[in-house]
Amino acid sequence: MRRQLLAALTLASALFSAACGTGNGKRQLLVAFSQANNAEPYRAMQNALMQKLWAQYPDVKLVISDAQQDNSKQVAQVETFIRQKPNLLIVAPNERAALTAVMGQAMEAGIPVICLERDILQPNYTTYVHSDNVAIGRLAGQFIVDYLTKKYGQPKGNIVAMRGLLGVEGEINRDKGASEIFQKYPQIRMVADPVADWIQAKAKDRMTEVLRAQPQIDVVYGHNDPMAVGAYLAARELNREKEMIFVGVDGLGGPAGGIKKVTDGILAATFVYPLCVDKAVEIGNRILHDPAFHPDKDYTLDSLMVTPANARQMYDKFTVP
Amino acid sequence: MPARFQSFAALTGIVILAIAISPAAADGSRVFLQTGNLTDILRQISLIGMIALAMTFVILTGGIDLSVGSILALATSIAAMCLTRMAPGMSYPAHIALAIAAAVAAAGLTGVLNGAVIATLRIQPFIVTLATMIGVRGLAKWITQNENIDIGFGRDVAASFAALFREKAIVIGSYALAAALFALVLARTVFGRHVRAIGDNEKAAQYAGLPIRRTKIWVYTISGLLSGFAGVLYAAENHQGNPNAGVAYELDAIAAVVIGGTPLSGGRGSIAGTIIGSLIMGVLTNMLRLKNVDSNLEMMIKAVIIVLAVAVQRERESA
Repeated sequence: MRRQLLAALTLASALFSAACGTGNGKRQLLVAFSQANNAEPYRAMQNALMQKLWAQYPDVKLVISDAQQDNSKQVAQVETFIRQKPNLLIVAPNERAALTAVMGQAMEAGIPVICLERDILQPNYTTYVHSDNVAIGRLAGQFIVDYLTKKYGQPKGNIVAMRGLLGVEGEINRDKGASEIFQKYPQIRMVADPVADWIQAKAKDRMTEVLRAQPQIDVVYGHNDPMAVGAYLAARELNREKEMIFVGVDGLGGPAGGIKKVTDGILAATFVYPLCVDKAVEIGNRILHDPAFHPDKDYTLDSLMVTPANARQMYDKFTVP
Repeated sequence: MPARFQSFAALTGIVILAIAISPAAADGSRVFLQTGNLTDILRQISLIGMIALAMTFVILTGGIDLSVGSILALATSIAAMCLTRMAPGMSYPAHIALAIAAAVAAAGLTGVLNGAVIATLRIQPFIVTLATMIGVRGLAKWITQNENIDIGFGRDVAASFAALFREKAIVIGSYALAAALFALVLARTVFGRHVRAIGDNEKAAQYAGLPIRRTKIWVYTISGLLSGFAGVLYAAENHQGNPNAGVAYELDAIAAVVIGGTPLSGGRGSIAGTIIGSLIMGVLTNMLRLKNVDSNLEMMIKAVIIVLAVAVQRERESA
């Protein structure tokens, strides 16, 4: 028994030395990044860019934890980071309420905290780097109105919205921004707005039902690109993809991202939801290296419209190798 | 040597390893051994730890309860809805007590339902609780319209509830109390003996005239109640009622029970073993996170440890 236990321990420690290696004696700055869910492409891209940008600074060691879309797990991971006393903590919160308190604990422990992209219930951060989803919603709404006006000579037509996870800030505000625009035109009708939880496969199923019920659809507004693509796949299956255009939000680079879908002619447009990482690293780096620097409480980043006209150029800009 | 001592040896080994590889704090002490970190671990294992206590009883009877994660989600939702959407005109403590009672009662009823169907219709526990897992998840999503019910940070009743019940002392204290109670019931009461006897040999228990049906209903009810209470703590900890909470918690709870030396076939096992099982998982997670081991690798390492922990115990039994 004892021998087996010994063997087990030896194996475990062997796994370790293979896994993490031991720290070298040199004094390094530790940047801890708590990511909500690596499985979402947007967030995977954030991680990749984070790694690429921090690699420019040899005195900085970046560690990333993945909460796998689980609030409790992310709270635990942030708690563990606090014990390690990092020089900078960056948190991309899974959900607002769940992370608020623990980020407050990090602040109390004297750790500078950057809140990335999603807000929390109280300003328990040094600075908040984010984009503006209402503005993105308005941009998308205006693009759709312009398209319909061109198509019919006046602003009218039938719109389907594919909604993300209800209650999430991005979903609420992308919907709100676009609705503000649509409301100005009584002849533009929202004929269906099913919830597909940001997921392409779900969007395809929900869109199939909508297509069965609605004989005429002009525009599908996906609150993210995967859902717009899911709706497209459903329409193509019923040979109706030429009847309507598909508009998405996120505008990620890379072969799986929304910008590629624009160059492929699947999406008519997508609106870049900034990764926020470049700004976060810029601010974070100044916090680390410049003691006189005091960041603003809030940095809002602008969106960009991607259409076939500029898609190639944008693809290069937003693709992280 | 009983299984629980072997799992205790495994826990000791992992703790020693955790101390050995723990990063050092600024003052040269081991981060792993800081009181704050050790209580972090206890708090983090408390919810699933509590569910695992009741799961031990269920597994001892030869059953299984897959619905615990969904019941937890239902309880978080009911507690948060009671706190944020009801204005019963009561004092804060009474309102909070009402919310907790409602959440735990709903969870307990689900447990009664599980137990009654299993005991009277004689359908396999796996199937019954699988159905409950799906159905109750649906119920939680339905009553919340699939939205999270946020609990704010103000001075209202919901915020006071969260502030109180997310206290480490309350969470860890609840777990400790439940653990002591369950250990006592299993070791010292007639009910505890019945639970074991049914899992050991149900036919024999039946011929001996033991109240099989009643015992089974109780076991699943207790499982529901504890999952419900864990849900209440979850709502406070995460400041929200979340119909999507607790996914795969049943598997973590079952893993803790099994690592603690209770075989899935039931009949033998102990609460101490289950507590050790929960601690092993908690210490392991903490140790790997402190070393910033890649989370995918973390899963693989955990898989190896689970199999090793159980294999060491099996080996001994057959010898």
